Amino acid sequence: MENQTVGKGVKFERIRRITGYLVGTLDRFNDAKYAEVNDRVKHSIQKETGEFEQI
Amino acid sequence: MINTIIKRDGRHVDFSIEKIANAIYMSAQATGGKDYDASLALARQVTDYLEQKGFEMPTVEEIQDAVEKILIENGHARTAKLYILYRADRSKVREMNTRLMKIYEGLTFVDAKENDIKRENANIDADTSMGTMLKYGSEGAKQFNELYVLNPAHSKAHHEGDIHIHDLDFLTLTTTCCQIDIVKLFEGGFSTGHGFLREPNDIASYSALACIAIQSNQNDQHGGQSIPNFDYGMAKGVAKTYRKAYISNLAKALELSCNEDDMLDAIKSICKKIESDYGVSPVLSNDNDYHQFEAQVLKDSFNLPDEDISKAQVFALKKAVKETDRSTYQAMEALIHNLNTMHSRAGAQIPFSSINYGSDVSAEGRLVVKNVLLATEAGLGNGETPVFPIQIFRIKEGISYNKEDPNYDLFKLACRVSAKRLFPNFSFMDSPFNKQYYIQDDYNTHVAYMGCRTRVMTNVYDKSREVVCGRGNLSFTSINLPRLAIKAHGNIDLFFEDLDRKIDLVIEQLLDRFAIQSKKRVRNFPFLMGQGLWLDSDNLSLDDEIGEILKHGTLSVGFIGLAETLKVLLDAHHGESVEARNLGLEIVAHMRSRMDAESEKTGLNFSLLATPAEGLSGRFVKLDRAKYGVIPGVTDRAYYTNSFHVPVYYPISAFEKIKIEGPYHTLTNAGHISYIEMDGNPSDNLEAFESVIRCMKENKMGYGSVNHPVDRDPVCGYTGIIGDVCPRCGRYDGEEIDVEVLRKLKGLSICEAPCCDDNSLESDDKVTHPI
Ligand SMILES: [Zn+2]
Repeated sequence: MENQTVGKGVKFERIRRITGYLVGTLDRFNDAKYAEVNDRVKHSIQKETGEFEQI
Repeated sequence: MINTIIKRDGRHVDFSIEKIANAIYMSAQATGGKDYDASLALARQVTDYLEQKGFEMPTVEEIQDAVEKILIENGHARTAKLYILYRADRSKVREMNTRLMKIYEGLTFVDAKENDIKRENANIDADTSMGTMLKYGSEGAKQFNELYVLNPAHSKAHHEGDIHIHDLDFLTLTTTCCQIDIVKLFEGGFSTGHGFLREPNDIASYSALACIAIQSNQNDQHGGQSIPNFDYGMAKGVAKTYRKAYISNLAKALELSCNEDDMLDAIKSICKKIESDYGVSPVLSNDNDYHQFEAQVLKDSFNLPDEDISKAQVFALKKAVKETDRSTYQAMEALIHNLNTMHSRAGAQIPFSSINYGSDVSAEGRLVVKNVLLATEAGLGNGETPVFPIQIFRIKEGISYNKEDPNYDLFKLACRVSAKRLFPNFSFMDSPFNKQYYIQDDYNTHVAYMGCRTRVMTNVYDKSREVVCGRGNLSFTSINLPRLAIKAHGNIDLFFEDLDRKIDLVIEQLLDRFAIQSKKRVRNFPFLMGQGLWLDSDNLSLDDEIGEILKHGTLSVGFIGLAETLKVLLDAHHGESVEARNLGLEIVAHMRSRMDAESEKTGLNFSLLATPAEGLSGRFVKLDRAKYGVIPGVTDRAYYTNSFHVPVYYPISAFEKIKIEGPYHTLTNAGHISYIEMDGNPSDNLEAFESVIRCMKENKMGYGSVNHPVDRDPVCGYTGIIGDVCPRCGRYDGEEIDVEVLRKLKGLSICEAPCCDDNSLESDDKVTHPI
């Protein structure tokens, strides 16, 4: 007997915060916000105060 | 000989002298003229004039110019004036028709996926009928206000993108937002306009009424709705629930010892008597003398041994604590569920709700915060991340910040939940601009944040009323800073001069709008004003104008793109150079000082907002790129950077970013927020998460949060980071998976599908009980 399957076409949800609000899918973002989300880089969490002073 | 003219839409149509005569005649009629032949004669002169000038195929505009000229030359000044007005009106209508119809066409026939206007506000589903209807109304109102209500100078500045008047569709209708005092609102009950709700009696109804209050008020205003004292308000419901639970459990215990059937009424009246005689009730923390008084009465009434009484009391206490905890969890779960599903504004939009909490150290308040956090952590029915309410946890030294503080455990829990669900955000009561108001025993002095960042506290209109509750923003307008820099060609003095002119313009526009708002009456806001939510509205009657009490609110000037501005002026933004950092602060401090001066002058609360840019992030840059071309680091992306933020694309450490952005929080008294993008799954590194929040506090920020990806696979229910493949079930995006494989996975999580009960049990076990 062949096994049944589920989930075909079911997309992952990707929740992001944009201008303060959470949105469940990127579909409802306008173009500018979508671009902003894509451009985001991570901020490293190390205390490099020395480096900071040099700037 | 003129045979053909060119219409505005480019079509060529036959020339008709009668049409010109008719237009002249209509204008003449309005001034009392009745002679059509005279109009026809003038039309002939117009034709002759055009032919003399060598027009073979004139445009409509050219003909109209000629008509004006001929009318004036012939001494028909009044008719000419009317003709010009008529012409201006026609062109306005025409402009409106074509622009608006184009927009309507897009709204009607194009999916949100392809239509940027439909996606302008991510919380409205503009693909639904009601969502589309809402957009028709909104777009129509915007055009109407731009063309007929706004001062033409303001309209032009908005239209061309020098400034952005937020919520222009609501220009003539209402104000932005309000901080709702639920403690006051619930006392004695309230009316929603559709019926009276009596004072709630347990935590379940407190939570339900909080949702109704938010929903009702959302219909009276266009912005977000905030509960600034969520813990204090809900605590009263918890106390009532506990009291009830204690009485009923004590009755049960004593029924056993006394061998009686029903002692509930007896215990109830004993409780009431102790309350009226001694002023104490059974309370969650059991830190009063209630048990002592009660033991005495029970002994006298039922002649029971001390031991039995004490046993029954301990049993009732333990049971009641547990039941109250459980009821509070369910109430908070329901609140979050409701705020994510209930609709306002004709079903197309979920109310923008925020709740602030964290400073109440009472056992009841703490229980509320613990459970609202746990319910948020558990997520919605299928484990989805709740998008509302925006939650804000208050950090305060001596209360929630240090290890020895009474609510430090809640701060830890808040970090854990935020690391999984993106909420709560964190507000900092020790930053001087917030601390100056703070009195622990008075929630009305604990600064709150609304929606994505709005803050309302200072009150120059009435300095004795610098309070949180019953106040909000009236309207706000943002300035396109990068354009000013581009126009100044890098000349900083010119930039400041132009900035001052724009600030003048925006102040004038905000005052115009305020004048419109002031003419509204209490009856226009049945909930906000009718139920006394807005400060001092309870002193007014239904037909009174609200201008005077609106002065408790704020008028805010916002800004966008400080980073791009610095890039133009100094070729570096504030993440890149000390010079830019200093100039950035100088610019924003200048804007703030202008707001303070205006407040002083007018007695109104002008304040400076770090604009969140909802709906605006792309508009300014699009217009500027069309005007000035692609300027690297300035107009070369699809958006301008949010307010004073260091650009999102710029690599910088979390702690540097916080240090650079911190000082701007002090300057932007109408609201601010900073974000840190955390790498990896912050749930695996709560220590780092907490250190980011602590760093924000130490750098005197007012409000901050941590961003991280929150992905979810709806098929197996996994929530966390998902790359290409779901780490739990191993399927790719959109891929099918064997039911048997899934069943085995689900076996691990006790039950299948929506299992809120299991979630709550799991949560109960995981957390260290804060009480
Ligand atoms: Zn999965």
